[in-house]
Amino acid sequence: MKKVTIFKSVLWAILGFALASGITRMLFGLGSITNQSDATPWGIWKGMNVIPGIALAAGGFVVTAVIYIFRRHEYARYSRVAVLLAFLGYLSAATALVVELGLPWMVWHPVIYWQHHSALFEVSWCVILYLMVLFLEFIPVPLEETGWFPKVKNFLIKYKLVLVILGVMISTLHQSSLGTMFLITPEKLHPLWYSSLLPILFFISAVAVGPLMVILAVLTISTLYNKVIEKEKLAKLALASAIILTIFSVIRLVDMGIHGKFGIAFSGSWQSAIFWIEMLLVFFIPVISLAFKKMRYSTGALWMATISAVLGIGLHRANIAGIMLTQTGATYTPTIFEISISLGILSAAILAFLFCVERFKLWEVKWEDPREGLESKPQFDRAGEVWLGTPHIANRTVFSAVLIVTFAVSLAIIPYNRIKSEGVVKVDVREALGSVMEGDTLIIDGNRDGYAVKFDHNYHAYNDSLKITCGICHHMNMPLDKTSGCYSCHREMYTPVDAFKHDWHASPSGAKLSCTQCHPDGERKLADNAKDCSECHKDLIPTDATIKVESYDALSYADAMHGVCVECHKTEAAKSEDRAKLGQCESCHSAERIMTVEGNAIGLDMDKAFGSVVLPENEMEESVEPAKEVTDE
Amino acid sequence: MKAILTDVTKCIGCEECVAACKEYNKLEENVPRAWHRDDGLSARNWTSIIHKPGPHYVRKQCRHCLAPACESACPVGALIKTDEGPVIYDGSKCIGCRYCMIACPYGIPRYDWDSAVPYIQKCNMCVERLKKGIEPACTSACPTGATIFGDRDELIKEAKRRISQEPGKYINKVYGEHDVGGTSVLYISDVDLDFLTFPLKSGDKVLPDTTMTAMSAVPPAFIGMGAIMTGIYWICKRRDEVKQHDNGGGEEK
Repeated sequence: MKKVTIFKSVLWAILGFALASGITRMLFGLGSITNQSDATPWGIWKGMNVIPGIALAAGGFVVTAVIYIFRRHEYARYSRVAVLLAFLGYLSAATALVVELGLPWMVWHPVIYWQHHSALFEVSWCVILYLMVLFLEFIPVPLEETGWFPKVKNFLIKYKLVLVILGVMISTLHQSSLGTMFLITPEKLHPLWYSSLLPILFFISAVAVGPLMVILAVLTISTLYNKVIEKEKLAKLALASAIILTIFSVIRLVDMGIHGKFGIAFSGSWQSAIFWIEMLLVFFIPVISLAFKKMRYSTGALWMATISAVLGIGLHRANIAGIMLTQTGATYTPTIFEISISLGILSAAILAFLFCVERFKLWEVKWEDPREGLESKPQFDRAGEVWLGTPHIANRTVFSAVLIVTFAVSLAIIPYNRIKSEGVVKVDVREALGSVMEGDTLIIDGNRDGYAVKFDHNYHAYNDSLKITCGICHHMNMPLDKTSGCYSCHREMYTPVDAFKHDWHASPSGAKLSCTQCHPDGERKLADNAKDCSECHKDLIPTDATIKVESYDALSYADAMHGVCVECHKTEAAKSEDRAKLGQCESCHSAERIMTVEGNAIGLDMDKAFGSVVLPENEMEESVEPAKEVTDE
Repeated sequence: MKAILTDVTKCIGCEECVAACKEYNKLEENVPRAWHRDDGLSARNWTSIIHKPGPHYVRKQCRHCLAPACESACPVGALIKTDEGPVIYDGSKCIGCRYCMIACPYGIPRYDWDSAVPYIQKCNMCVERLKKGIEPACTSACPTGATIFGDRDELIKEAKRRISQEPGKYINKVYGEHDVGGTSVLYISDVDLDFLTFPLKSGDKVLPDTTMTAMSAVPPAFIGMGAIMTGIYWICKRRDEVKQHDNGGGEEK
């Protein structure tokens, strides 16, 4: 297979994966496939596609400005590539933003709700306007190929200069406003990245990295399609970028020096290591590989410089937009589904780019002179060195197959519990610890967070004036038990659980029951038609039980405890004035309550005291013995 | 302007305010989720009690800043500081960019991560009750008067009176009087409350000002860049024409 086919197949595969993830995200919310959280509200889509992406697409305005405003006609060949790269770059960033927005269908709201004080408002307006400008700049290329609307095409070519200047004006605003967005986070962004010069730094780095991205695209095309490149010309353009990168790095370092941040840079923290990696990628590698003439004119140096700078600026932006932004100690690792959408959007952009490369005359040799006007049609070197001519659509079957297969596979591997958003953290409940304080006082700390409530069991059980029976609290007991702890059924702190352990009853290592011992034979096996627990376990419900067991769904531990305690307390509180405090939370959750595991009043080693819960296995087996006999018959 | 004053020394951590808040604002049951932070706030908990060794109980909620960073950040004006005090949220304008979550110096706004139609969730100081002249659900529920509602200036006076009465008991600072330009939720405390903000302190810096400095440069930058680019174009054009003329290649236009 050809290089191009393999490359494209990979891109289609990623796209298939991304489509499945994207559909899941739209149907079930951001939580279903992302690891974004209340602590890290922005993830890889903003940190990789949007904020670095806009910088990497800056080549559109920089290169066209060089050609049409600074009138360096020798670069005219790259005008269309730069514009296309910018157009697709902005489209992909906008797509990522739409996927990332919680309410994507409201994306147009900044157009009608004006907020001049918001940097993001400014950025959204500019991106919308600049996308239009880029569209108008690029549309002559397909129009020329199809021959449609020749007047529109010629008009756009004639007034290209206006579009170019507009493009520069709009880009200046939003490239810097992207930096402005992070001025409001001085308490979150790491000091090595926070600076009041962020808007200026963002603009300069975009100007520098834009042309390098164009060069990288040219290099990629030349490799994919085995074409010769104009090394000298590209190297000159790259050198200009390297000089701007140097200015960027110098401003950054001087700014750091003024604010005395070099101490942090040499502190040896992981952040300072990342800072130096960034400096290496943005400054040292590109500048060294382009500084010497001999190296500059080698393809290897160009590759190295462009890749290094693109990665470096990408890392710089990702650091500001995410990695160095949260100082809460929260960690964020994107899920493979988030990454797939990120890469999928890029893949789509690259596929569209390659389509245009193969389909349109991106490599006009002749510079479009706006002065030449309508009459003279731009001339193209159709047999030029890189233009590929109209291709036959090859490999449709391969690409479709790859897309469908990866789409199906990824749909299958998206975890069901994430789709259902059951991201519930289970909080197991533990037994109350008793008999360690004076009398029979229990220490109740269900969720093991070290904050316990004292419960005087003796007082509640044997105070005749209260007239409390055991059945008020112990309304249901484990087989052959009369005082099962609340935790044995209310096993989860915040969510209801099924008190009936179905799998244990069916398991050979448990009760070894066959299905028909509980469910009627020949019917669907449902909870409704199963035998009632009390048919086997006669002693399950005590005779004096006051709470009726209607189903075996046990309330959450917190609800159960509050339910059983608070109700009585409120009734008691209503009885007399001097007991009024009984109904209030502080009667149990008082300042006297045992506060921490380490420093609690009675010096308990709580973890040692609370062993894991062991079921009374022998008793369980005894209690199900009658059922066993049924099996034998 | 209305405000809430929370006296940390009086709080017993009973979470009646949390329960009242949930009941009035009809928030669903809060179960721990993977995307929650450990401060108890979530899309379904607009206020929470943070336990600190001692014991100290610190109520966390939206601070309703006088110059809110979230309001400044929001690109569509979904978050607005009202004259009565609350910073309120209008879900019908929201686009879900979550820039407010990035901007907030207290990390207050939370998100409906498990919903296909998600909104920002945060305390609105029971603005509907305020309009009717009733105090917020949380302060009315507090059994010990640890969190009280009133006029901001009077609450600051009250806070300072309490501190001066028992100077040994309190840290000599009304939290929220000047922080990030002042907030409508004030605290006095016997335990350092710096943990409520992020580790790098903004101090008394008014956060929206940082953005405004740059944003006010936008119109001149836009016009200026246009002028500069047009100027450069004419200079370069002239240069080419002179060059062409010198080479005898054509006439000067």
